[in-house]
Amino acid sequence: MTNCMNETMDISIDFSRLKLANPVFTASGTCGYADELADFTNVNRLGGFITKSVTAKPRQGNDTPRVVETDSGMLNAIGLANIGLEAFIQEKLPLIGKLTTSVFVNVAGETIDDYVAVVQRLATEQAIAGFELNISCPNVAKGGLSFGTDPAQVAEITSAVKKAAGEKVLMVKLSPCVTDISVIARAAVEAGADALSLVNTFTAMVIDIETRKPVLSNRTGGLSGPAIKPIAVYMVNKVYNEVAKERGIPILGLGGIRTASDAIEFIIAGASAVAIGTANFIEPGCTVKIIEGIKKYCAHKEIKNIRELIGSLV
Amino acid sequence: MIITEEITRSNRGVFDAVVFANKRIRQRFYRLGLEFSGDGAEAFAKARPGQFAEIDLSGVKLPPMKEVAEDLQDAAERKVLLRRPFSFCEVSSQFTHRSVNEGGRGKTRVEILYCALGPATLRMTTLSAGNSVSVMGPLGNGFRMPADKKMALLVSGGMGAGPLIHLAKTITAECPKVEVTAFVGAKTKTEMPFEKPLDEISRQLGFALHEFARYAVESQLATDDGSIGHKGFVTDCFSQWLGQQRSLSAKDTIIYSCGPEAMLARIAKIAEDKKIDCQVSMERMMACGIGVCQSCAIKCKVEGSNETIYKLCCKDGPVFDGREVVF
Repeated sequence: MTNCMNETMDISIDFSRLKLANPVFTASGTCGYADELADFTNVNRLGGFITKSVTAKPRQGNDTPRVVETDSGMLNAIGLANIGLEAFIQEKLPLIGKLTTSVFVNVAGETIDDYVAVVQRLATEQAIAGFELNISCPNVAKGGLSFGTDPAQVAEITSAVKKAAGEKVLMVKLSPCVTDISVIARAAVEAGADALSLVNTFTAMVIDIETRKPVLSNRTGGLSGPAIKPIAVYMVNKVYNEVAKERGIPILGLGGIRTASDAIEFIIAGASAVAIGTANFIEPGCTVKIIEGIKKYCAHKEIKNIRELIGSLV
Repeated sequence: MIITEEITRSNRGVFDAVVFANKRIRQRFYRLGLEFSGDGAEAFAKARPGQFAEIDLSGVKLPPMKEVAEDLQDAAERKVLLRRPFSFCEVSSQFTHRSVNEGGRGKTRVEILYCALGPATLRMTTLSAGNSVSVMGPLGNGFRMPADKKMALLVSGGMGAGPLIHLAKTITAECPKVEVTAFVGAKTKTEMPFEKPLDEISRQLGFALHEFARYAVESQLATDDGSIGHKGFVTDCFSQWLGQQRSLSAKDTIIYSCGPEAMLARIAKIAEDKKIDCQVSMERMMACGIGVCQSCAIKCKVEGSNETIYKLCCKDGPVFDGREVVF
């Protein structure tokens, strides 16, 4: 009986102008451009899919080591390695066009013009539902995080990209490495962001005590995984209360989610949807389990519409 | 009746495997045996030498602290989050014509040589027969077979011996005309991932290790301290041997190598100097194993230019052409 209820349980959500089958996304940089996952999970079960960052020109990325594991987390410093806009259009977009899930392209760059160029070129593509503006990558020398920590720059880049994005949903991905994340969130929303995703990784370091050098060749990297979850939940709740709720802006919550109960915490905190990142590396099929777990929770709690759960923190 | 049936199911995925053995070979070296049924058996039946699997060891218990060597006690305190990549030293399958409904199609057994040196491999030592672990694979590209060659030379350092044992078995089965010889290096006699080397007479006859001799493959052993076999690096032992082969035809020979990167660099250089084809199995810290995280970059030359690009160890490798890697 419960199973039967799960099957039919509707957990669809409104996400800005989009209607999504469920509130579960994959986070950028953890699922490539979807084709890599075909043997491991059914991407079409997802509410949304966010691509690996796309930049105007291809990027080689940083030297290795690019990752290191920590207790309950990992640091990465990939350096936005990606195939670049043209190869993305030629090689990946046709496959993405076949997906039935809503696809967001994560966009990164060194200058505002870089971001605008990518978004403008993709704004008319049917295959894409929206963009996630990456102004919070901690692992590149130019652009990235430097855009995301200054409210004036956040406003400037968001409004420039918004003009280029046309009808597509524009989501801005926020860094947690700021004194007050609500200030940045407000700057993005007032400049035209349709949605916010938070949080990106935390700048962090691991040291090899034999050599006294940082383990990562980039010296620092972004911390993700279960270690950051409680901080991310707090930040989602703060942005929901101080910025998003009154303006009706949906939040995509992420940071260390690997189970349905983790996802539900974010939704109660104020996220309309959640994204799974690091956990995909361990269990590429975990998103499907999380979707089922959310349905089960709603059935068990007799929640008829998942909207009742969003921001329901007591 | 046991017959190999045509396998048409998925090539790879995440499967539960049951441990059938986990034997301590010597010191910190172990050999783990995993058995797959159903789809896992079909996927892993096709595992090629040099491919690997990502194993989830996060939920496996640690050995009691008093049994953990002092220099590993800090590592034992660490938690494990990500899967760990392991290549195979042995893959064997048994399939029947029975249908799925009649209770499974067959079994595939995969064996892994490993060294307990960190939080994940320390946990691995506590696995015992009947335990279940989640295994993702088989992943990456293995060694390409020497179909057009007459001689295959296998050179390993330390744990790198594992996939070369699998390779020796596969070449002798699939390319029986190719003559295979292995050169195996280790730091010392006690730091060798083998149960026991064969006796002095066998060694003099060119069969140092049972693991290769069972496939009628000659093997020579080198240790850094000379505690067994040739004294010195395996690369020196190999280079010396190569220098003595007056009738060796470079174009009919191929070198396969797996081990520490400095050793691979030396082997690739020897191969290049002698104009012998060479394949090296690389290693990097990796998070996903399937090409999405972009962690395990290997700097490679672009043919016909001075440029370099990054390829991914997990997806484009782990086996690379020795000439393409920038060491």
